[in-house]
Formats: sequence, structure tokens, C-alpha cells
Amino acid sequence: MAVLPVPLPSAKMAAVEKRRQAVAPPAGFTDSGRQSVSRAAGAAESEEDFLRQVGVTEMLRAALLKVLEARPEEPIAFLAHYFENMGLRSPVNGGAGEPPGQLLLQQQRLGRALWHLRLAHHSQRAAFNNNVSVAYECLSAGGRRKRPGLDGRTYSELLRRICRDGQAPEEVVAPLLRKVQCRDHEAVPLSVFRAGTLTCFVLLEFVARAGALFQLLEDPAAAVADRRVGQAVLDTLEGALQASDAAAPARFLEAGSRLGPDSLALALDRAVGGRRPSAPMTREEFLERAAALFIAKVKPVG
Amino acid sequence: MLSPERLALPDYEYLAQRHVLTYMEDAVCQLLENREDISQYGIARFFTEYFNSVCQGTHILFREFSFVQATPHNRVSFLRAFWRCFRTVGKNGDLLTMKEYHCLLQLLCPDFPLELTQKAARIVLMDDAMDCLMSFSDFLFAFQIQFYYSEFLDSVAAIYENLLSGKNPNTVIVPTSSSGQHRQRPALGEAGMLEGVEASLFYQCLENLCDRHKYSCPPPALVKEALSNVQRLTFYGFLMALSKHHGINQALGALPDKGDLMHDPAMDEELERLLAQVPGLVNSVTASPEASCLPSRTPPRVGSPWRPLHHSRKVDGESDGSTEETDESET
Repeated sequence: MAVLPVPLPSAKMAAVEKRRQAVAPPAGFTDSGRQSVSRAAGAAESEEDFLRQVGVTEMLRAALLKVLEARPEEPIAFLAHYFENMGLRSPVNGGAGEPPGQLLLQQQRLGRALWHLRLAHHSQRAAFNNNVSVAYECLSAGGRRKRPGLDGRTYSELLRRICRDGQAPEEVVAPLLRKVQCRDHEAVPLSVFRAGTLTCFVLLEFVARAGALFQLLEDPAAAVADRRVGQAVLDTLEGALQASDAAAPARFLEAGSRLGPDSLALALDRAVGGRRPSAPMTREEFLERAAALFIAKVKPVG
Repeated sequence: MLSPERLALPDYEYLAQRHVLTYMEDAVCQLLENREDISQYGIARFFTEYFNSVCQGTHILFREFSFVQATPHNRVSFLRAFWRCFRTVGKNGDLLTMKEYHCLLQLLCPDFPLELTQKAARIVLMDDAMDCLMSFSDFLFAFQIQFYYSEFLDSVAAIYENLLSGKNPNTVIVPTSSSGQHRQRPALGEAGMLEGVEASLFYQCLENLCDRHKYSCPPPALVKEALSNVQRLTFYGFLMALSKHHGINQALGALPDKGDLMHDPAMDEELERLLAQVPGLVNSVTASPEASCLPSRTPPRVGSPWRPLHHSRKVDGESDGSTEETDESET
């Protein structure tokens, strides 16, 4: 869809910039032509003051920065979600009355951390890393009866929540959780926290893609795939992953070429021609075995 | 999941493409107009509700025209709101004049310009006999094209006139203002020549226009399809073809296919439920157009919408020849 009439961004931004220099740094978004023309300069000033005083300017600045950081496909829905979460967090609406119990507080912290972690896709590494740091701070903030720092119990709980919300079957992700989670009493440093959350997100995407792959292989009527075909795909995947053992760029190219359509087709052809059909492969089995290939590459924590 | 173009755009272009600043700016204006709400509910809640309403498309209701037409999303939302609010007009089979449709539009957007309604009516009536009655669906689909592609159609009108006066299409100058000066009568037809312009040449110019047009255009492939089975065409013939092309309607994404226009059982149920809650609503809604601008003729039956569905067939039957049988159907 093409762009409908809005003021050209460059012109508009130039106007904003100009005002920014003239007035205080966070000029907000009220400086549209319509307002500054129709109202007296004094009134506009007082509106700006009002917005600054009640915190709108700062709030929108933060929101806009988040939008730019995450670059969501649907920025308006993203903003609605962003403010909704902010509303839940604010003391006015959230913990009205007596202070929340320890357990509730813990849940709130987890929810907030998860929300931060999901703001940006993990492939946008800078944004994701920022959000990981914020989530880490959320979880490790000290409280009335809580010492600062993140313990293994909270960390493991967070990873479980990430995986549970990611719609991957439990038995598929369980081996990963065993590998990356910490002991309940251990203190979790930021580097471990980042590695653990990132691995979970990448695995979830891997499982989603494996699911899509299985859908291509399966017989739609029976909801199972030919074992020979499934096995051939898994073997090819395994071969490619082994090739990428070292982090040398050439290995990635090699892995990519092994997974290319031609070599995959060759493997499939050989599999169907070579072996006799046996018991079909279910989706669960395929996902579990594909995930196992991935998880084998993950270094265990501690 | 990931569209790399989006991530590669410069910040301002990304924001402009998705009109983020337009909505943020508007949110602040709304907030300033409703300061007392903030103290009651909090700023975050205010913004949550604002952006949720933008997502749902209810944010354009009763807003000023400059905002309603500000983004493609707002235009789609307005078209959808207009359809949903006044669907019952079509369901009842009522035929209304341009002025009456304009009153309906003004119920949703008080400063809706008459010019735009007139242009839409010209499409239905092929620029002739402007006080004729129109069926709801005819008007709606013509209005959709006129409203959504307004700037594009202004440029098309200029191209058409240039072609008509025999100018070289390559030197066409697209006007930047949206004045109504391009309105033309098929004067060449009176001179005994063929009416309109040659379709393939016209299409070449349009394709060229779509390439460099910065506003929304209908997909060129669909325009080509709409023009494919005619040799020559007039400007209003072209607009009529656009408005009746269901592919363009689908690409625009605001309204269902013509056949499903009156068929929305979920909405009917919802309406029944709401009306049961607010018994006075029906009367108050119909009262305002009558009072403000309808002529003394029998008022449209906007307020008695719950008739059986078979009435929608009647609409289909008379949708093209809506100029006859008027007085019988209205009494």
C-alpha cells in the first residue's frame, strides 16, 4: 500500500528539530502546524509544560524509542500493548491497596521481564540485548525481603515460561531446559541469563520451522510422514549441523549448501529408492529428534 | 515474522510509512482535550485505549475530516464504519439521494465535505441527473473508490482531459491541488466523434502514474483487468468499472464482496443485543438526519432495520436502474 497524504517526514522532522533547538530538548509531539497556528504561543507553551509535568513527554519518548528499537510490523498494536503493560505496572492500577504478597510480586516481576524479552525479535541483536539487560534488572532488583540478584530458581522459572508460551511441546524443550537451567540457590550472572534466554528463543523458532518442515513432508490425511523421508531430512540436517561445528564462516556456507534444495532432494530420492517403507513418523517424533540435534549443540551451564 | 525491508529503513521512513507519528500526535491532542480523564484513569490507560481504538478502527468515529482522511488505515476504518452503521439502509432496499447519503456521512464525520459525496454520486450516476436516487451498495462502492483513491483520481482526471484534448501523454502534468476543475463533459461526443479515450493508451498513462504516485493507487494489474474488455471509455465509465471491480475491492480490504454486503449475522445479533439494552437508540439515530437535512419526502427507513434477509435480493435486482420506480418504492 502506498503512502497517503501525511506531511513529508523530512519536512515535519525539520520543524520538530527546529523547535527542539528553540525550546527545551524533549519537545514532544504537540508541535504540529495545526496547533501552533491555531493557538496562541502562550497556550502552546503551557500545554507543553503540562505534558512535561504529567510525564507524557517522557512516556512517549520512551515508547517511541521502543518502537524504533523493535521495529514491529504493526507499530500501533505494539504501542497499545506497550501502554497496556505500563498501565498494569503502575501502582494506581496494579497493586492498589495493601502491598502485594511475595508470591504475587514474583509473578509480576516475571511477567514484566517476559514482556521486555519479547519486545524485539532475537535477530535484532542490539535491541534484544538491551531488553535482556532490562529484564535482568527487573528480576534482580532487591525488595523488602528479597536480596538483590537473580537466583537460579527464578531464572529457571522464566525459561520454563518462555518455552511454555512458545507453544513448543514440553518433551521437545525439556532437554534444553535441563541443560541451560541453574540450581535453585545459584546466583545467575547476566551472561548466563542472556545465553539461556537467547537459546530458548532460538530453539522455539527452530521448533516452529521444524514443524513447518514436517507439514510439507506429512501425508495430510494420516497426519504422519513416511519414515524414510523424515529420516533423510533429519540426517541431512544432522550432517549440516556437524559441519558447522567451528565458527568459521566457511562452515556456515558448507552447512547451507548441504541443506540446499538439490542435495536435500538427492537425499530424499536415495532414501525413498533405497529402503523399504516402515512405520510412519509422527509429528512429535520428528520435532523431538530435530530439536535434539539442536540441543546437542548447546553448551550446558555450569 | 521478519520483513527485512522494514528493518533496513531509516527511522523516519519507517515511522512515516506506518504513520506512527500521526497517531502519536493525535493521541496527544486527544489527551489535551480530555485532561480530566487522565487524572481519573492515568495516562498509560488513556494511551492504551487510544491505540486499541486505532487498531480496531473505531478511532475515526465523529472525528474531523482532516483526521479521517489522514492515513490509509483511517480511510479503510471510515469506509467500514459507514458500511456497518448504515448497512440497514441497503438491507431495507431504500434508495437515497446524494444529499441524503451526505447526511449519513456527516453523522459519522460532521465536517465531511460535500464535494467528495458529489464526486462519488457522479460515479454512480455517470455524471448525469445528479438528483437521482441511488441504492446503498452502488453508492458505497463508488464512494469507496472516490474516498480511498481521492488523490489518485484527481491525477487520473487530469490525464484523461489531456488525452481527450489530444495532448501527448508523455507530457502530462499532474496537478498537486485537489480542486474540482477537471470535471468535464464529454463534449467530443456531441461533435459526432467517438466518446471517451482509447483504453490501451489510457492504461499506459495510468501505469506510468502508478509508478510515480506517492499516494495509494489501485494495483495496476487489476486496473488493466478492469479496462481489458473495452476499446474506448469515458472518465466516469472508468470510475464505474473501478468501483464494480471486486478484485480492487478486495485489494482495498475495507468492505466485503457485494453479495455479502448485507449478510452479517454476527453483526445483526450484536445489534439486536445492543438495541435491547438501549431502547431509545433507534429513534434518536433516525431523528437527526430527518431533522437536519432531509427533504419533506418520506424519510428513509434507517430505523427499522430488522426485516428479513430477502430484502437484500431486491437491492441487487434494482441496483443499476435505480433511477426509475422511485416513488412507488418510497411510499
